Amino acid sequence: MIQQELQHLYWRVGFGLNPANFNSLPKNRQQIVDAIFDNSKSTSPLKIDLSFMNGVTVKDLKENPKIARELRVTSRKKLADLNYAWLNQLVNTKELLREKMTLFWANHFVCKVNHVVFAQKFNNTLRTHALGDFKTFVKAISKEAAMLKYLNGKQNKKNQPNENFARELMELFTLGEGQYSEKDIKESARAFTGYNHDFDGNFRFKMKVHDQGEKTFFGKTGNFSGDDIIDIILEDKQCATYISAKIYRYFVNPKPNKKHIEAMANVFYKDYNIENLMRFVLLSDWFYDDENIGAKIKSPIEYLIGMVKTVPVKFEREKDLLKIQKLLGQTLLNPPNVAGWKGDKAWIDANTIMVRLKLPSVMLNNAVISSGENDELRKKYFKKNKGKLPIKVTVDWNTFSENYKNINPENLQDYILQGNSNKGTADFLKTLSKTSKQEYCVQLMSLPEYQMC
Amino acid sequence: MDRRKFIKNSALASSLFFVPNFVKAFEPVTAKQLGYKRLVIVQLAGGNDGLNTIIPHNNDLYYNARPQLAITKGIIKLNDDLGFHPSLSPLRSLFDNGKLSIINNVGYPNPVRSHFRSMDIWQTASSSNEYLQSGWLGRYLDQHGDKPYNALEMDEQLSLAMKGEHFNGIATNDYKVLYNTAKDPYFKKVLNYNDAHLSEHNLGYLYQTMIEAESSASYIFENTNVKSSQESYPQNGFAKQLKSVAQFINSGLDTKVFYTSLGGFDTHASQNNKQTKLLSQYAESISAFVKDLKRNNTFEDTLILTFSEFGRRVKQNAANGTDHGAANNVFVIGKNLKKAGFYNDLASLSDLDGNGDLKYNVDFRSVYATILSSWLNVSAEGIIPSKQKALNFI
Repeated sequence: MIQQELQHLYWRVGFGLNPANFNSLPKNRQQIVDAIFDNSKSTSPLKIDLSFMNGVTVKDLKENPKIARELRVTSRKKLADLNYAWLNQLVNTKELLREKMTLFWANHFVCKVNHVVFAQKFNNTLRTHALGDFKTFVKAISKEAAMLKYLNGKQNKKNQPNENFARELMELFTLGEGQYSEKDIKESARAFTGYNHDFDGNFRFKMKVHDQGEKTFFGKTGNFSGDDIIDIILEDKQCATYISAKIYRYFVNPKPNKKHIEAMANVFYKDYNIENLMRFVLLSDWFYDDENIGAKIKSPIEYLIGMVKTVPVKFEREKDLLKIQKLLGQTLLNPPNVAGWKGDKAWIDANTIMVRLKLPSVMLNNAVISSGENDELRKKYFKKNKGKLPIKVTVDWNTFSENYKNINPENLQDYILQGNSNKGTADFLKTLSKTSKQEYCVQLMSLPEYQMC
Repeated sequence: MDRRKFIKNSALASSLFFVPNFVKAFEPVTAKQLGYKRLVIVQLAGGNDGLNTIIPHNNDLYYNARPQLAITKGIIKLNDDLGFHPSLSPLRSLFDNGKLSIINNVGYPNPVRSHFRSMDIWQTASSSNEYLQSGWLGRYLDQHGDKPYNALEMDEQLSLAMKGEHFNGIATNDYKVLYNTAKDPYFKKVLNYNDAHLSEHNLGYLYQTMIEAESSASYIFENTNVKSSQESYPQNGFAKQLKSVAQFINSGLDTKVFYTSLGGFDTHASQNNKQTKLLSQYAESISAFVKDLKRNNTFEDTLILTFSEFGRRVKQNAANGTDHGAANNVFVIGKNLKKAGFYNDLASLSDLDGNGDLKYNVDFRSVYATILSSWLNVSAEGIIPSKQKALNFI
């Protein structure tokens, strides 16, 4: 595989490719893709310190509102720790594809809870099933405490059914809008009655509030359970097509290609094995087509992690990480609603483009993009802000220099940017001095082209 | 966006950008034309307790439900039933002079008590079981705006309300910083090399947005006259937002919608001190803002809408606070209101919903629809997804 294809592959299954690793990679496509799956065979769950919940019982919470309140506050603070732990994992993981898929599934099975124990458990369930059997995956999600809370599964009882989960299961998780009737929603909601969880977040089925009557769903009648409903939904090939289309837009190109999606759906429908589907995608010739390289606008997380993987930094204040995510418009564990982040063009507005163009220089180079040019402005800024930058980091340029030591500065753009540049920008880059690889790197990262992967 | 429109817009934007004194190419006359209506949104984030804001001072049920929390002293009685929280005294003259309309019991069917979800519902004008990814003001500007600065939010981040299907407003808590960022000589050089046609793909979209951000930042900076606001404002962040809005309005900026926010209303414990302070900030700042606009003859073309994502439970909790509730009051401030004062009576305190919350009888989307049709003079179709009957407060 040529360098451009390799970089493309590694941007889609991870967050770019370290040029120092080029030579150690196997030579042909099959071997490289095999290696990617081998590295993702294992799973490393997130485990933050949750000892504040040790010994706490349901009784404590019910009888002592003050303790309950304090725990809620601690839990919300711990969510920030979970956010940092996740980011950290994305930067350092060997299980590239598993982590990238986890990120994908987190914006598919969208869920948000303030209960940090449930949040961590849910996140690890996404990780466990990320490359596994989709049918098992959906069933596991339907039994997660976080999801039972988020989409009111706990409130779904025989005498007062709550349709929230049943609706989103079909509309967002499996089939897409308009593929079912309101009656299907009502009937399937009945099958999920009685789903609940215990204090620790383990699934509990409450037979007493489960509706054991006959349900008619998608033309079939029986005393269906929640799992039966999921089986019936997945018999519809539309589910394989819907998931394939979403994976295509995320991993290949935001502009769907019907033919390729159909080919993917044929593979996926056979056994709903996610790994097989992803192998098919990554081994397809069309995956490496020119039109797919650099076609995607990086999500804020892809942008941030990619940058940090190129030039390692240490954030001196962890809360700066939350600030950056917020400014860029994507805070992990805090999706805008059950439909998740819209993605693609929706990442970019007048504010976020300015933040993205400015952030590399602020983080890596004291807010200087091109030395000697905006000095006046910087002086004014620093005077007003007591010499402080809004984000405090320690930059490890040594590692960058080491990783890029064999790259000719004249070619650095081919490694930092993905896909074709605007003609004018390519001309402009030729005029820049390349005496400092560092400075040239910051300049490349301050371009609209850097937003693409 | 279709291809022709895209090329037309981007060509226009880029040519404007490269005219040396390009700002002059803009003609802000439209903004100065008579009858250019503006809308200012004030979001009280966290769920303001409406019952302690507009107080049913003659109602035993109110006092019984809130033994420690009911306001007993200093209520500014506005009629036999309802009165202002003492902190709202700066709004008294607006009320007396018919410049304030208070709509009670505003909400929606099957109310959601999550801050985030309910705020999304208010911002997108959706139903409680419907998830929309664009905001009502954004959709208004999809149809009736063309420049990002047609909608300005006084924050670092753009709210969902201000994002349309295609349109995105500008968010900035300091337009000078935005200008200085956009003015970086490096960006200018990059764009100087790119006056050729932009592609229609994602990369072209990025360049187009970059150009728009630069030209918008410059437009706002060059056209805002700082001296246009001479009024003294209280010292708080919310007042600072309103002062900026006044500067923009008084300078005649071509901006239809302004978005401001005051947070901290989630008063689960020790509510009285917190709410007293917040309502003072709100009322003093609004009062200064209205005076500022009046002095500059811009008040008659400005409408101010204040809302919160939900009201709070009628019954107080054990921590001298209140929990998340449902229906709430909405304030509309403007010069030519059709129905000033109280638009409707407060809903019954004995006929509450299953959670012990006020029942709504005015849908918030009918408030939006009325503002669109009677104030901004556009059809609500395609902006407010559900059919709503018009109200007659303006």
